[in-house]
Amino acid sequence: MAASSHTPQDAAAEARRQQRLEELCAALIRAQSAESEVRYRGHRLEWRGKAYPLRAPHLQLDSQQDDWGSCRGVADAIALRLRHHDGDLHRHWLPAPPVARLVFELLEQLRVESLVPAHQPGSRRNLHHRFSAWSNRFLASGQTESHLGLLLFSLSMMSWVQLGGGPIDEGTEHLIESTRMFLLREIGQPFGRIRRHREEQAAFAEQAQAIALTVSELVDDLQQQLADGEQDKEALEQVGKSFGLLLDLNGDGDEGGGEAGGAVARFSDGEAAYRVFTNHFDKEWQADKKVRPELLERLREQLDLRIREQGLNLNGLTKKLRRLLARPQNDGWRFGEEEGQLDGRRLSTLVTSHADRRVFKQPRDEWHANATVTILVDNSGSMRTHMGHIAMLIDLLVRALERTGARTEVLGFTTGHWNGGKPLKEWQRRGRPANPGRLNERCHLVYKGADTSWRRARRSLAALLKGDMFREGLDGEALLWAEQRLLAEDTDERLLLVISDGCPMDTATRQYNNQDILDSHLIAVADRLEREQRIRLCALGVGLDLSRYYRHNQLLDLEHSPDNRIFDEILALLGRTLRGPHAG
Amino acid sequence: MTDLLHDHPSQLRPVRELFNLDVDMQVPVFEHRDEHVPDIDPNYCFNPDVTLAILAGFTRNRRVLLQGLHGTGKSTHIEQVAARLNWPCVRVNLDGHISRLDLVGKDTIVLEEGKQITRFQEGIVPWALRRPVALIFDEFDAGRPDVMFVIQRILEQDGKFTLLDQNQVITPNPHFRLFATANTVGLGNVTGLYHGTQQINQAQMDRWNIVAKLDYLPREDEISIIQGKVPRYNDARGFELISSMVAVAELTRAGFAAGDLSTLMSPRTLIAWAENTEIFGDAALAFRLSFLNKCDEAERPLVAEYYQRCFDQELVEPQALQLTAI
Repeated sequence: MAASSHTPQDAAAEARRQQRLEELCAALIRAQSAESEVRYRGHRLEWRGKAYPLRAPHLQLDSQQDDWGSCRGVADAIALRLRHHDGDLHRHWLPAPPVARLVFELLEQLRVESLVPAHQPGSRRNLHHRFSAWSNRFLASGQTESHLGLLLFSLSMMSWVQLGGGPIDEGTEHLIESTRMFLLREIGQPFGRIRRHREEQAAFAEQAQAIALTVSELVDDLQQQLADGEQDKEALEQVGKSFGLLLDLNGDGDEGGGEAGGAVARFSDGEAAYRVFTNHFDKEWQADKKVRPELLERLREQLDLRIREQGLNLNGLTKKLRRLLARPQNDGWRFGEEEGQLDGRRLSTLVTSHADRRVFKQPRDEWHANATVTILVDNSGSMRTHMGHIAMLIDLLVRALERTGARTEVLGFTTGHWNGGKPLKEWQRRGRPANPGRLNERCHLVYKGADTSWRRARRSLAALLKGDMFREGLDGEALLWAEQRLLAEDTDERLLLVISDGCPMDTATRQYNNQDILDSHLIAVADRLEREQRIRLCALGVGLDLSRYYRHNQLLDLEHSPDNRIFDEILALLGRTLRGPHAG
Repeated sequence: MTDLLHDHPSQLRPVRELFNLDVDMQVPVFEHRDEHVPDIDPNYCFNPDVTLAILAGFTRNRRVLLQGLHGTGKSTHIEQVAARLNWPCVRVNLDGHISRLDLVGKDTIVLEEGKQITRFQEGIVPWALRRPVALIFDEFDAGRPDVMFVIQRILEQDGKFTLLDQNQVITPNPHFRLFATANTVGLGNVTGLYHGTQQINQAQMDRWNIVAKLDYLPREDEISIIQGKVPRYNDARGFELISSMVAVAELTRAGFAAGDLSTLMSPRTLIAWAENTEIFGDAALAFRLSFLNKCDEAERPLVAEYYQRCFDQELVEPQALQLTAI
């Protein structure tokens, strides 16, 4: 696969870059808006667990064409909106006609952008950069050649300048001049007032609504007046599309702060609604029991050879992990101190040499990780190709974690058959009742339990390389299983690291249930774990962006063999996960 | 020292006059300034709520615990109030090495008329209890459990303190006061930021009459404090620069609260940054040296973004930082 061309690698690199940019933008929005529950999930912005709609045209980014400056501008614009915008008030004034909504949304966005604080000149520049970039693109698209396009464009530019944006270059000024005069005759009064009211959303909304409704009427009139109305309607649609607005208005995204619980309810419904047709055939195996001992020995040798050739820095990794996980613990004594508690064994020193006062002991702090880390590996068929690298990665992680004092578990999950096994047959026999739930047998594999040391589990870990047990994957149930095992551990910190290269998949279950039954179950379970915070959850996506499912995730590039850089990425991910959001 | 034993606040002064607070409250003030009275910092900005809490501690003998992130100026706040009341102050840092004996006292061997004899040397607690001083326990939540139980006894307002080995009962001086500062509210190291802090026994927490929280100062106050410390920036241009610096600090604090950063910028770092800017004549270089290099490498791009927002300037990482002789 590696030999075919550069494209897959380029795509992976591009996806990783994109993920990093999104993470950076989300972190910035969180800091600027003081809203900690902002994140990107599957490339879409989410606030308090719900999609956050971007209704102003210049906030729609095109990842192919827009530069980093534009991304920054959009992030700043969203942060300002989160900070200065009241969703309830907004809905109260939001007019009904589509064009009026479009104008109203734009005005509101420009209002919050005008509130950028004076001590953030960089944000001001970013916002300016973004709006200019958008207007240039709009101009270049030639849509200002229709009446409607020009009307809406002129209004955007006027509002931008009125609310502290600009300056506009001469050519554009010239282009919109006559439309501007025409518009000012119609909306002059409220338009003159918006600048004054930009700090009060309600007063501003009243003026903005008046402007929006007038413009909407103008557009209607214009359409009726024009003989070739048909053509212009098309143009309006075109404009709407490029404004990226009319389509999104009826979308699911609602920025209602009041009903933030809605999404949570929906997610937990997902967990409750998930059904299992029968768990009669489910299995849990010790992985080393499924492989012949001689073969296991050979696989282990292969793995050892690979690790040796790779030259990875185990000591360095241990040190970094210790920094992440270990906490000082009162453990043992420091002897020979000049003060502290008297050390009985040294009393004789007092008699033999008066001057020597080092007869005390003091409690000593040892850095020790009182944590349990579970590594949950997706054993789906597509993972087989990556298993060489992943086994190496897991083996080193386990060894390093064990050195810091943490306990580790390595678990795997797959299904008993392809396309549903015995449960499917049973379901067919029972006359195919509707919505049966999961129709495959679940297989859980224990490669290494928390009580087993790495030395004892060495051979068993090599079973990761035996790919013929790899079939499909029921990620949601696997998470639940790992959760249960982790919660049974007596430990301070519980960390669950999922390694997966795809979404949950079981063909039979998908075929005879709702298409997204497995997906929504996984999302629901992951969401609950993240909210409860009893265990810390994070995921490594092998060539796949897992942000749709997991809040803390990292795209892993396994095109090349794992090197120290990959471990740094994993460590950064663990660090983020352990930190989580803090209270004030 | 002897006069301190018999000293007491001799007059009542209005809070309005001393602290410019709009309340009708009178506070006791000592006439003389003993050597234990802290120096007055004329630029100090008082937080009204916290000041009132501390004043209640002084006038009505309440036990006051101040809680806040590092660098919010908890101990300084108490000291500055005491400085204006001429009230003697003693600070004890309760790090993990302070033992019970340090606080209570221990037998030591001394030479007297050429002979070695053991004599009981009083610890800081009995010493302070007998005198009209404000005893401040810093890092209260980092104290060892055995130490905490010593303190628990004196937390009661008129709790008499028994020196077991001396068969002595100490009745606290009527003008003895007790304060403490802590980074956490007795919950231990929840955020991972304060290793070595302990969960405080609930019985212990109950004995504090007032718990006040000190947050970072409002930006105007923070700016004026830095301008006070670095007088060179005490003009309009300096204000603009410091304002941007404070804006960066605010973003790091918000980033910390959201879990994106593991380091945050305390006022102390801000002052260091301003001072270093004066030395190097370059805000970006000073920023790298005073804060960025303390951050985790993985978090630096985000900090650079914060910097770009507030300074409209890219914070490029230099390949190798070369310092010329200053």
